[in-house]
Amino acid sequence: MQTADYIRLTLNAVFGQRMRSLLTALGIAVGIAAVVLLTSIGEGVHRFMIHEFTQFGTHLIAINPGRTTTHGVPGGVIANVRPMTLGDAEAIGRLPQVDAMVPVVQGNALAAADGRTRRTTVFGTGPALPAVWQARIASGRFLPHDDARSARAFAVLGARLRNELFGDANPLGQRIRVGGETFRIIGVLAPKGQILGIDLDDAIYIPAGRALALFNRDSLMEIDVTYRAGTSSGTLARRITALLKQRHGREDFTLTTQEDMLATLNNILGVVTLAVGALGGISLLVGAVGIFTIMTIAVNERTAEIGLLRAIGARRSQVLSLFLGEAVLLSTLGGLAGLAIGLGGAWLLHLLLPALPVHTPWAYLFGAELSAALIGLLAGGLPARHAARLDPLTALREE
Amino acid sequence: MSTATGRLPLVEALRFAFRAVAAARLRTAMMTLAMAIGVAAVVLLTALGEGARNYVLGEFASLGSNVLTVMPGRAETTGGIPLLLGITPRDLTLDDALALRRSSLVAAVAPIVIGGAPVAFGARSREVNVIGSTAELGPIRHLELERGRFLPAGDPFAASAVCVIGSRLRDELFGHTQALGEVLRIGDRRFRVIGVLAPKGQSMGLDMSDVIIIPVAAAQALFDTRSMFRVLVEVRGREALPAAKRRIEAIITARHEGENDVTLISLDAILATFDRIFTALTLTVAGIAGISLIVAGILIMNVMLVAVSQRTAEIGLLKALGAPSHLIARLFLVEAVLLSLFGCAVGIVVGYGGIFVLGQLFPRFPLSAPAWAAFAGIAVALLSGLIFGVLPARRAARLDPVQALAKH
Repeated sequence: MQTADYIRLTLNAVFGQRMRSLLTALGIAVGIAAVVLLTSIGEGVHRFMIHEFTQFGTHLIAINPGRTTTHGVPGGVIANVRPMTLGDAEAIGRLPQVDAMVPVVQGNALAAADGRTRRTTVFGTGPALPAVWQARIASGRFLPHDDARSARAFAVLGARLRNELFGDANPLGQRIRVGGETFRIIGVLAPKGQILGIDLDDAIYIPAGRALALFNRDSLMEIDVTYRAGTSSGTLARRITALLKQRHGREDFTLTTQEDMLATLNNILGVVTLAVGALGGISLLVGAVGIFTIMTIAVNERTAEIGLLRAIGARRSQVLSLFLGEAVLLSTLGGLAGLAIGLGGAWLLHLLLPALPVHTPWAYLFGAELSAALIGLLAGGLPARHAARLDPLTALREE
Repeated sequence: MSTATGRLPLVEALRFAFRAVAAARLRTAMMTLAMAIGVAAVVLLTALGEGARNYVLGEFASLGSNVLTVMPGRAETTGGIPLLLGITPRDLTLDDALALRRSSLVAAVAPIVIGGAPVAFGARSREVNVIGSTAELGPIRHLELERGRFLPAGDPFAASAVCVIGSRLRDELFGHTQALGEVLRIGDRRFRVIGVLAPKGQSMGLDMSDVIIIPVAAAQALFDTRSMFRVLVEVRGREALPAAKRRIEAIITARHEGENDVTLISLDAILATFDRIFTALTLTVAGIAGISLIVAGILIMNVMLVAVSQRTAEIGLLKALGAPSHLIARLFLVEAVLLSLFGCAVGIVVGYGGIFVLGQLFPRFPLSAPAWAAFAGIAVALLSGLIFGVLPARRAARLDPVQALAKH
């Protein structure tokens, strides 16, 4: 049997029963479309989350006071016996591998300026915040390099807070009252967006020492450190642990490297995408059952034809590949249609709900199409084997 | 088929369909399998979603539905749950908390100070969350004691050196020896153990088995803080919640120089949010699984079309005997519905079997398929049988009797 004959026979079989082939392929198409659409959403959310977390850069280590053995925020962030002080932060900042360090105290206070008031988030930080948090200055400048304990009363506004309090007026040089103390505005940050529900734009940034005094506490809530490229996060984490242990006498703090966090996040989101894809895969499984059923019917119907083929000298392997080819052709065609439906659905979803991140990597498309072909091969295997095993004499007599 | 008048009773139609279904065994098995996979997936996945919902709601319900949480600070943004507002310049003090008791709508008030500290007994030390509160925390949080007693009622400003420890902390520090009456150190202060909490799961992100509870005044001294982290207020009756909210805000505003700088959260709001999220999640997951039912329906239509073309001669004979078209259509429709219902039944059995097995494997996770899942499964199966059966049935009905007979 020549290749041309082979192709013609397969095509005839598929297109001869147009309605039947259409419905079989449609079953696979729905399954593939579901998988493509769902993994697109999963992957989109994955990318969105990773982007959210890497907006502070990837060379980041966060140090929180308090140790906890369970998940969640350690109680030590709120209050603890041995505070993590500005002195600790400075000591960490002097480590040779450390590129930049910001202490963080976060609170909530009433800010009043220009006759308007607004409850807002207050960040007590240091001059290196734009470098560490990768924030841009829209106008003016960020907090100057003062001595942390006697920093001048300067403040920098987030973009949203600036709009709420000053509208179009220029806030630079104006006074602002935060929780009863007066600060002078020296800069405005460019919009940065939210991170984990905290709006970084609806916030005011003041020196950490002044924030500690404002909130009447000794302990910082977090120290964020960036390190130079080429330094391993593990080495630096060990150095910081050793330093703080030496200063505190024991390990009463928690270190989180951005790498660890990203790896964990990546794992979790990957599993979620996989699970969602598997949900769509249920439909694919049903589609496979469909191919199996239809191929079985086809073999039964064409018993006489198979007998004839065998009688004129076709080998078993040729009959096998004939039916396998038919199954694979059906499933690949269905797969292609499914890809089109899935991509169209993803595009439509993006149009209807711009907030929902959707992303379809090319590898997924190839993977989906490949699995469609594989399903055809698997589901078509048993009926094709049955066809190949038919005894030519009995098969012919069926007519 | 003795009644050539065309009034075929349903019993007769069913028998006809049964015979047809039973004749093509493999085909029937495959279609049953396809339908069953879909229905079982819907039942199992809705059960998982419902289980997750019940689990989370149960966790929150342990706090009691008539409890208000007062947090210092106020977020301007609406929506969402302010989890951690950080700290505020004006403290929510112990006096503020106790002032809330004056309202007749308030049944109990538990101020909470929380922090991390090393707890040591002998040579063993462990960093745990320390909760400072009053005797009223026990009833509000429904804390049960394994042995000993809870914090004593009395003057909340008295920093008596007693503590109640979680069961896991007891195991870690004391092992199998008696913990009651022993003196342990929190930071550099000494506390006598007067009670051990009964083991209880995680609740609201805080593992209550790994905490230590001390009098609120002692916690204030330990952490050198004046401000409460939270104040839990139990209101007399759920109906009184809105009135109590207004009353609490009025009291705080009066005490804070006319400024309302606290956030009140009722459990109802949180519960409603979670309820909505989980219901939406369950519906989505069930919907995704439901796609497979459509695929199964397509398969049924396909196979029924094949059946029509295979049974052309039979249809021709029926028509030649005088069976009207609508009767032929009904025969094939009944067959399609029968197939999908059969698959649906198998799917429901498999689905509930899976729930039973999962329930045996994970007894702590309350799995239960909502009644609507099974009903929806049956309804969708029936509907898909009807919808996808229409085309083959019509094709069968339209066959020309002469040509159909001639085909044989």
